[in-house]
Amino acid sequence: MTDIAKNAPSPAWSLLSHNAAQLFYRLLAALLICIVLSVLSDAFLSLGNILNVLRQASLTFFIASGLTLVVLTAGLDLSVGANVALSACLAGTVIHQTGSPTLGILAGLLTGGTVGLMNGVMVTAMRIPSFIATYGMLWVLNGVTYWYMAGETIHGFPAGFRQIGSGYFLGLPIPVYLLLVFLAIGTAFAQRTVWGQEIYAIGANPVAARLSGIPVNCRLLLVYTVSGTMAGLASIIFLSRLNSAEADIGESLTLPAIAAVLIGGTSLFGGVGTIFGTFVGALILTLVLNGMNLLSINANWQPLVTGIIVIIAVWLDMRTRRSAP
Amino acid sequence: MSDGAASAAASSAPLLELRGISKSFPGVKALDDVSFAIHPGEVHMLLGENGAGKSSLMKILCGAYTADAGEFYYKGENVTLSSTAEAQALGIAVIFQEFSLVPFLDIAQNIFLGREPKGRIPGTIDRRRILADAKRVLDGIGFDIDPKVVVDTLGVAQQQMVEIAKAISQNARILVMDEPTAALSDREVELLFALIARLKADGVAIVYISHRMAEVFAIGDRITVLRDGRRIDQVRPAEVTPDQLVRMMVGRNVDMTYPRRFAEQPGELVLQVKGLSAATGISDIDIEVRQGEIVGLCGLVGSGRTEVARAIFGADPVTTGEIIFDGKPITGEPDVAARRGIALIPESRKSEGLALLRSVGDNLVVAALKKLFPSRLYDPRGAQRTAEGLIRQLRIATPSARQMVGLLSGGNQQKVVIGKWLAAGARLFIFDEPTRGIDIGAKSEIFALIDRLVAEGAAALMISSEQIEICHVCDRAYVMRDGRIAGHLARSELTEENIVRLGMHHE
Amino acid sequence: MSDLAIAAPLRAVQRLPGVAVVLVLLIALFGAIAPGFLSAANLSNVLVQSTILTMLALPMTLIIMTEGIDLSMGAVLTLTSLCVAIVSLATKSMLLGLGAAVLVGTAFGLANGLLVAIAKIPPFVATLATLGMAQGLSLIVSDGQSVVGIPHSVRDVYSAQLLGIPVPILMGVASYGLFHALLYHTRFGTYVFALGGNRDALRYAGLSPTRLLIAVYAIGGLMAGVAGLLMTARMNSGHPTAGLGMEFDAIAAVAVGGTSFERGNGWLLGTLLGVLAVGVLRNGLNLISLPSSVQVASVGVLVIAAMFLDGLRSRA
Repeated sequence: MTDIAKNAPSPAWSLLSHNAAQLFYRLLAALLICIVLSVLSDAFLSLGNILNVLRQASLTFFIASGLTLVVLTAGLDLSVGANVALSACLAGTVIHQTGSPTLGILAGLLTGGTVGLMNGVMVTAMRIPSFIATYGMLWVLNGVTYWYMAGETIHGFPAGFRQIGSGYFLGLPIPVYLLLVFLAIGTAFAQRTVWGQEIYAIGANPVAARLSGIPVNCRLLLVYTVSGTMAGLASIIFLSRLNSAEADIGESLTLPAIAAVLIGGTSLFGGVGTIFGTFVGALILTLVLNGMNLLSINANWQPLVTGIIVIIAVWLDMRTRRSAP
Repeated sequence: MSDGAASAAASSAPLLELRGISKSFPGVKALDDVSFAIHPGEVHMLLGENGAGKSSLMKILCGAYTADAGEFYYKGENVTLSSTAEAQALGIAVIFQEFSLVPFLDIAQNIFLGREPKGRIPGTIDRRRILADAKRVLDGIGFDIDPKVVVDTLGVAQQQMVEIAKAISQNARILVMDEPTAALSDREVELLFALIARLKADGVAIVYISHRMAEVFAIGDRITVLRDGRRIDQVRPAEVTPDQLVRMMVGRNVDMTYPRRFAEQPGELVLQVKGLSAATGISDIDIEVRQGEIVGLCGLVGSGRTEVARAIFGADPVTTGEIIFDGKPITGEPDVAARRGIALIPESRKSEGLALLRSVGDNLVVAALKKLFPSRLYDPRGAQRTAEGLIRQLRIATPSARQMVGLLSGGNQQKVVIGKWLAAGARLFIFDEPTRGIDIGAKSEIFALIDRLVAEGAAALMISSEQIEICHVCDRAYVMRDGRIAGHLARSELTEENIVRLGMHHE
Repeated sequence: MSDLAIAAPLRAVQRLPGVAVVLVLLIALFGAIAPGFLSAANLSNVLVQSTILTMLALPMTLIIMTEGIDLSMGAVLTLTSLCVAIVSLATKSMLLGLGAAVLVGTAFGLANGLLVAIAKIPPFVATLATLGMAQGLSLIVSDGQSVVGIPHSVRDVYSAQLLGIPVPILMGVASYGLFHALLYHTRFGTYVFALGGNRDALRYAGLSPTRLLIAVYAIGGLMAGVAGLLMTARMNSGHPTAGLGMEFDAIAAVAVGGTSFERGNGWLLGTLLGVLAVGVLRNGLNLISLPSSVQVASVGVLVIAAMFLDGLRSRA
């Protein structure tokens, strides 16, 4: 068949192997940052710092992993940070009033999931573009949280609950175990379930996905709900680690989460990316910020650097897209 | 101007002459040695089926494409025509079906976009002059409207008038119109024809592309028939009958060697559509498809064929009517139809049929995920086995299941779209232009595939603009016109002439 | 066909209700339940407080007309406000402060324009990234502290009156006049309509959408610079979170004002009414002692509702 000759495969052209290469480069970048930092700062390679980086990365990862699914469908969830704040505050209140961490955790997850579901309804049933819907939601949540908290701080939680965010097991922080668990669950969901495959298909071409019999709106509802629930989970870890809840804890969380997703190689245009990539993205971002910290660069530079990293990541993604047919 | 003066102008020297124009695209010869002359004050009809080369010729005229061979003579002088700027300098303006208007600017601003008269303060627009100039242009074409009206509030016909005004204001002497009446009502068509008569009287040359036989005789001064990229004939309307024109258009000799044994005894009733109407512009559609049959659905582009396919598949909401599949009514989104065993192979393969950046394997299993993995646990190796089986079965030319589907040829991409529904176990296949953009060899392979599907007990509904395909492949066919079924042709009646006759407008 | 001649004004009237009804209802509501809302002093207060928002919402209208958005506007406003404070503190000159603010604002606007028009990064993400950058720079230049002790000449901008009318109101009116002239009476304005409505039409006419798009975003940054002066004057200090969320109020005003996110359908007067609606809402909720958090949430609901209705309208 002449067709075969016409389509002579050149492996570099295949987006699949291309993605594997991209992930490899990113891991390499993470390693490089580690080497540079270990040279520049003696403190970097200390066990305490490494554990700190891992714990920090895991917090970013929880939010970013749910967000990855949303971005895979070519959407965006700008409300995740505000969602963490509201969920943390509600969970904190429940723990204080009932004395039951279990109920608090449930309240946090439920709040996050409900917010996510509402985002999903706005995107599907009301057909508002995801950027605008979740951006509006961000301010609604901010308003509700500040109103609810009225400037108060909730603090002081049972010791058992605080173990979740600040405890250790076999020398590793507990959030790191949670990270591994959710990395495994997220990867399995995205790569090894029918729903995961459908999410990729929706992101790659929503029209074709619908005409292939995929219930697109149902899947989108699921994706936004999962993203919200993961924000709820992150809120529990935050609450437990900070041992307090304030209305403003979510403000600096959204941009890093988006940065982690994009550095991890997930395309803003949908259909391409992995949960593991997001983990690597969270790691790279945390390493950079940690390095700045170790080198005594003012923390005020962090949002600036995060912004620049986002732009570089999207620009790289655009270049990859343009070289594809 | 009187008729006599108009015909005197028509017999004058040509304004623009094309000699021996050829244009090839990879795999297709779009235009092959086409010559014709455009005279001032004359409406030159360009007639031909889809793919006859009309749109290529039009794009060459406006400078969007450059001809591979051939020459252009403007008022007898040899000129080049290789950019839109050159075309504009020669006074050629094209009115495309998709308008180039800005919806929320007014008529005057649209007419003079980029050429606004300067006001006293730098950067400003001389509002009074732009309105006066626009009024003059609009008056010139007999369009009585306030130039301050925002374009978005206008109907299609009026927007077309604004397009024409825009072209005229650039001193266009040659106006190319691509099926300008496609979206117009009868009254609007009358207005357009009146305008064309005025333009003719002013000595403007008009190249008019149309499918509608009635128009050809209503306004044409000269008719050029294209077929397979060649000029078949040039005639005057008085010299031919509609039937002769139809024969010129369709009398194609395509090697359709694919032999098909037609279904003698069609099986069970698979699909029954009763009185189906949808907001997309189809009404009162009755269609039946039986097991083992390939049923054609033909008619002109825009007659509602695709809309019928989409409505049956649940892609567009149905307003009234019933769709009965396998004896049970079916309603809802495409996922319902897909689950019940209906497949849609959409017209636009690349934007609606495939995820181009994903692999062949991913695309092949996407419709069958739930069937292949009832536990909802996806097994990449299982998916790959299924995909490789389909690649072998359909002889899809790809180095592996991991190849990006966007890199395959059109024919092989189409096989992937069909393959995904094979994997899903569909029993009714709705094909919308299954051979569009596919070369001859691959076409007969696609037909062999469709034939095998129905031989194995499936049913097929096939939309095609190529009448010859319908005649060769289908057991019988429905012909659509203006969103309705205009007629049904049994196997014995299924000829190209019959299809064209039923599908054309004979007002 | 001549009956179409009245279609344009008719359309404007048809569209008027959306935002005008919202505004009238809000005024009636707060007139009834908020003590002192309808007093001349308070109404003048609403107008003065709406000035900064007006100066952001006008360019935001243009940006949204091009099917874009500028999320960085609030953060850039914060930064330019700090520029005014720091530079005027150092040089004792209000004008130098304004100059620095305009320069920094325009630079951010240009950066947004380049990212959107040349790097082709979706506006939402590009301006979210520059939001982070402006926020970071604000923290860096202020070291997270308020900048106080700025010259009187700056504060006077906010409190001064000309012919008995507060200067901020005059500035707001002047901004509206300028943008009205720019959008409806210049070639540039015409092309802004085309940027969202039909970019191909611009290309056919031989115009570069890229440069126009960059200019639109740059104007947004420039106006954030000018508004920075008013912000500093109003607070009599520079504060590293001063403009937080202002872009959202601006987007709300534009959305409520009837400008669509598609097809280049923009309406400046609607934006102005939208600004007033947001201003009345915030002022009224304030008067009935509801905290600013409730104001924020209600503006959020307002945006979602406006977007939903806009979607319905464009589908109809």
